[in-house]
This record gives sequence, C-alpha cells and structure tokens, in this order.
Amino acid sequence: MARACNIHHNNSRYVQASQRAIALIAEMIHTASLVHDDVIDDASSRRGKHTVNKIWGEKKAVLAGDLILSAASIALARIGNTTVISILTQVIEDLVRGEFLQLGSKENETERFAHYLEKTFKKTASLIANSCKAASVLGCPDPAVHEIAYQYGKNVGIAFQLIDDILDFTSCSDQMGKPTSADLKLGLATGPVLFACQQFPEMNAMIMRWFSSPGDADRARQYVLQSDGVQQTTFHLLFIQQDDYISSRVSNKKSGGKELLVFPLFPS
Amino acid sequence: MSLRQLLSRLPRCLGASGPLRGPLDTISSVISWRGQSSRSPAQWNQVVSEAEKIVGYPTSFMSLRCLLSDELSNIAMQVRKLVGTQHPLLTTARGLVHDSQNNLQLRGLVVLLISKAAGPNSMNASCQNYDMVSGIYSCQRSLAEITELIHTALLVHRGIVNLNELQSSDGPLKDMQFGNKIAILSGDFLLANACNGLALLQNTKVVELLASALMDLVQGVYYENSTLAKENRITDDIGISTWKEQTFLSHGALLAKSCQAAMELAKHDAEVQDMAFQYGKHMAMSHKINSDLQPFIKEKTSDSLTFNLNSAPVVLHQEFLGRDLWIKQIREAQEKGRLDYAKLRETIKAGKGVTSAIDLCCYHGNKALEALESFPPSEARTALENIVFAVMRFS
Repeated sequence: MARACNIHHNNSRYVQASQRAIALIAEMIHTASLVHDDVIDDASSRRGKHTVNKIWGEKKAVLAGDLILSAASIALARIGNTTVISILTQVIEDLVRGEFLQLGSKENETERFAHYLEKTFKKTASLIANSCKAASVLGCPDPAVHEIAYQYGKNVGIAFQLIDDILDFTSCSDQMGKPTSADLKLGLATGPVLFACQQFPEMNAMIMRWFSSPGDADRARQYVLQSDGVQQTTFHLLFIQQDDYISSRVSNKKSGGKELLVFPLFPS
Repeated sequence: MSLRQLLSRLPRCLGASGPLRGPLDTISSVISWRGQSSRSPAQWNQVVSEAEKIVGYPTSFMSLRCLLSDELSNIAMQVRKLVGTQHPLLTTARGLVHDSQNNLQLRGLVVLLISKAAGPNSMNASCQNYDMVSGIYSCQRSLAEITELIHTALLVHRGIVNLNELQSSDGPLKDMQFGNKIAILSGDFLLANACNGLALLQNTKVVELLASALMDLVQGVYYENSTLAKENRITDDIGISTWKEQTFLSHGALLAKSCQAAMELAKHDAEVQDMAFQYGKHMAMSHKINSDLQPFIKEKTSDSLTFNLNSAPVVLHQEFLGRDLWIKQIREAQEKGRLDYAKLRETIKAGKGVTSAIDLCCYHGNKALEALESFPPSEARTALENIVFAVMRFS
C-alpha cells in the first residue's frame, strides 16, 4: 500500500522508513492482541506452536502482551506524526471493543449478523484498514487516497476473517495450524453458523446458550455442513472482493502499483 | 459522574478474598497509599484534601467517555460474577472501591500539583491558546488522568493467576479462568483509553515519554513477579542497588515521566522538565519505602500480618547479614514448612535493616524537596512539600 501511494503521489518506488515502521507497528499490535487472546481463550496452540501462556504461564503472557504494546507505542511516537498516532491508537481501542462485543450476544437474528460484522471489523479489519490509511497519509497528502486505502484495507480484513470462519468448518486441523471448530468450542457463532441458522431454526437455542450443552458444538457443525451456510458466506465474500478490486483499480490508475494490490483472496 | 460514583455500582461487600498470597500482598501495598496514614491518618488526609482544593476539584479522573461507556458497565457486571471466588481481581476492585472514600488517585494529584507549581512558561507564547482552569492546562489534566489509567491497568493485570499453579484451596478452575479473562479485558480497556487520550494530546514527545513509562512499569511488574515465593527460594539474592533499579521501574518511572511530560505540555525547557522528573522519581521511591516499612514500625500488629520478603527493610537486613546468615534466620523462623512472620519480623527489627530503610526513605524525600526548590514558591509547591513530609514521617 505504501509503495502504491508513493508512486501515485510522486512517482517514487521507494518505501519510506516511516512507512516501514507502520508495518512493524501493525505487526506488533497484532501480536500483542494474539498473545492476550490466547490467554483469554485458554488456547494451547497458535500457528502450529505452543502458546505463550502454555509455556510461561498466564501472568507472563499478559505482561508480554503489554510490553509489545508499549514498544509499538514508542515506535509510533518516534515517527513523529500526530495524525498517524491517532489513526493507530484507534486500532487498539477497536481491538478491545471487538473482544467485548464477543462477550455479549444478540437476541434478534438480523441484529446478530450486524453484530458479527461489527465484531469482525473491530477485531480484524480495523488494523489492516487503519495501517493502510496511515501508510497512505505518510506517502501522499490527498484525503481521497487515504480513504481508498482505508476501504481497501477494511475489505481485505473482513474478507480474510470470513475465509478464516469458513475454513474453521471445511478444513482440518493440520492445514490450519490451529484446532478446527475452535469458534464453536468457544461458543462463538460465526458467518456460516448464522446463515445455517436460517435453515435450521433449532440452532437458535444453541447460539443463545453459546453451544455450552454437551454435543452442541458437534451438532452445530453438522447443521452447518448440511446447510448452505458456507456457500452463503462465500457469496458474501465474493461480493466484498469485487468491491475491493474496483476501489483498488480506481486508486492506482496512474501507477504501476496496481499489480501489487490485486492478489488472490480466495484459494480455490 | 465521578469515578467514585461509578465504582459504587460494584457491590459494597465484595466478600473475603481468602488467604493472602504473594500477588495480593503486592497489590495491597501498591494501591494502598493509606499505608502511612496508620500513624497519623488525620494529618495525611488533611494534606491531601488541601492539595485537592488547590488543583480545583477532587481527584476523580477517568474521562467522561470512558466512564459512560458500555464496556465499563459490562466490566462491573462481570466482576460481580466473581464474588465468592478467590480471584485477585476481586481484591483489586475492592481496594479501588473502598479507597474511593479517601485518596484514590495520588499520582494524578501530584501531576496536577506540579503542573500548577511550574505555571505557564512565560518565555513561550505558543501555549496562550490553551485553556487553563485553576492554573492548570486542560491537556495537563488529561495527562493526569492518563497516568492513573496506566497505573490502574497494570494493577488489574498484576492480578492474573497462573492456572497451573492453582491449588484446591483456590476454588474451581472455571472461576479463575473467568477472572483472568475479565482482568485482561479490563486492563486492556484501560490501556486503550490511555492510548487514545495520549493521541488526543497531539504531542509526540509526551506519547513517547508515557509509552516508555508503560514499558518500564511492565518490566518492573515482571521483576516483582519473579521474586515472589517460589518453591525452593523464598527470597531473592538481590542487593539494595538492584532493588532500587527494580523499584524505580515498578513505582518511580510512571510518576517521574508523567511529571516531566506535564512540563513538556506547557513547553517548559529541559531543566524544568528534569526537576519535575526528579521530584516524581524520588517522591515515588520514598513513598514505596515508607509503605514497605509499615509492618515493622506499627506498634500493634496482628501476628498473622505478613510482609513482602523483597521489601526494602528486608533486603537491607539481608545485605548487612550476608546471604547465608539470612537463610539460616529464615529456617529458624519456619515451623513445619510455614513461615512464622511474627518471629521473623522481630529478628529483622533487631537488626539494622529497619533503621537504614528509614534513612533511605528520608534520603529520597530530601532529594524530592531539593528538586522542588527550583520551582517558584506557591500553594501548589507547598502542597507538594507537605506530601513529602507526610511520607517521611515515622513518629
């Protein structure tokens, strides 16, 4: 994104040090949130390895997350741009609010889907959207470009999460690097589940009790695989991907950076 | 709505928290700024209430946006579910609620006072647009709030428990997991608000200062944790200089850097910033030592009162005696594997640890007063001096 904006602005293929810093900071914020999330979910593995909390205990894991966050904040301050600081601190707030959204659940079916999308934005897409925006702010003064960068990042983020939710049902543990059906086991109702619920209303009760009764998670998984939950989520995904492609084309008509941004979102 | 009113949403009687353990000792000593009031509560309270009048309003800081948020109500509701369990978060919450009757947010108060004591920088006109109430800029008030948010966030994070160290007396695993979850989320929520507040200040130097203070604080808490009771070693072999470094990280850095940041916001020069830093640092150190000394100087203490074996007087005592003799004393105070704190306390009082800790406390107190001398005389400066005097007072 940085390169695309730089090319667009002044034909420079060079990525500034401050833009590189944004990439680092985004990764740090992401890592800090993962470390904390693993303690919250009592996870034993992440990306095919043991989690921090399993090896060193919960106390150190929480402190480690805090430390990474503070390092990211110091790096952010050193860039010396107050707009960029505001953009990225928004991410931190969104990440926390996303976790809180996950704690609550909605009665109403239509509300539930909106709730799910909002949670997905806050937990996943906000980081990518805002990092792209920050990189563009450093590369180019045009607010229209900043907005495009933001929308691009947001769509990529949501698409990524939807795929992740689909794969939780359709894939197996080896491929994923983390246990599957993890979301159900945590009591979370993701895209495919919410769509499946439209065909199998008996899932409503399970959703409300967070799949806590014995056998709930397995039964829910069966329902999803029988229904068109996965297909509907996929459809939603393609819709987003299209939106994304259009916006990235518009922003990069002047530059050769276009090819960098259009990458296959869907593995099949 | 003030913090006190909001915290009163938490149930008044949050229940007993079970036997005191390592993390609870630390938490109690960190949140209880009332430590030194046991001898002269009236005097301490008076010092603080005078100070509060000088800065314009009682010290209830959390920003309105944070207070009225759904998340905080959510947190309050979740913490209520912890009543009856033994998760340390309950103790932390109880401490915050009960202390709200007295001096809840001393750090913030000090930041406000030093802002007022320094006043505006007459040489620099760029701050003229900022609004000022009771001699303090609104950005400085915001900073005071942020300092408290960071402090409270780490206080809450200190209360996380290691699940694999739990014993049957701690209660169901489920409760502890839930407590951990809420503790992490609440702490993260407070930190997120602090970060947002920092962003709004639009000053990258201040952001860097406070972020590095957070990093120091996290490291300090890490050292605190690693010196808590392990299986074979009850106390670490640290000398007083290491103790000072670690205590600066866990107690001094936040206040010191915050005071410095307050000066930066008013565009004061490097010298003034340094004096503010020194005040914050030495005042915090002196306060910590005072708090460590309480179990040894109170006249009437119950026999079951425990104390931290890595506190100042004990570390000094060990340094005078040498490690081997100290280990021997600990063994002599142990009965069937349990430490007899009352006996060990007498042993320590008989040595030189307590008196030299008192000296150290006064040393830091005096350094703090020295730093204050470079500020012009004012009510605010006097209030800061009085706080130091109160902290150095042992009789």
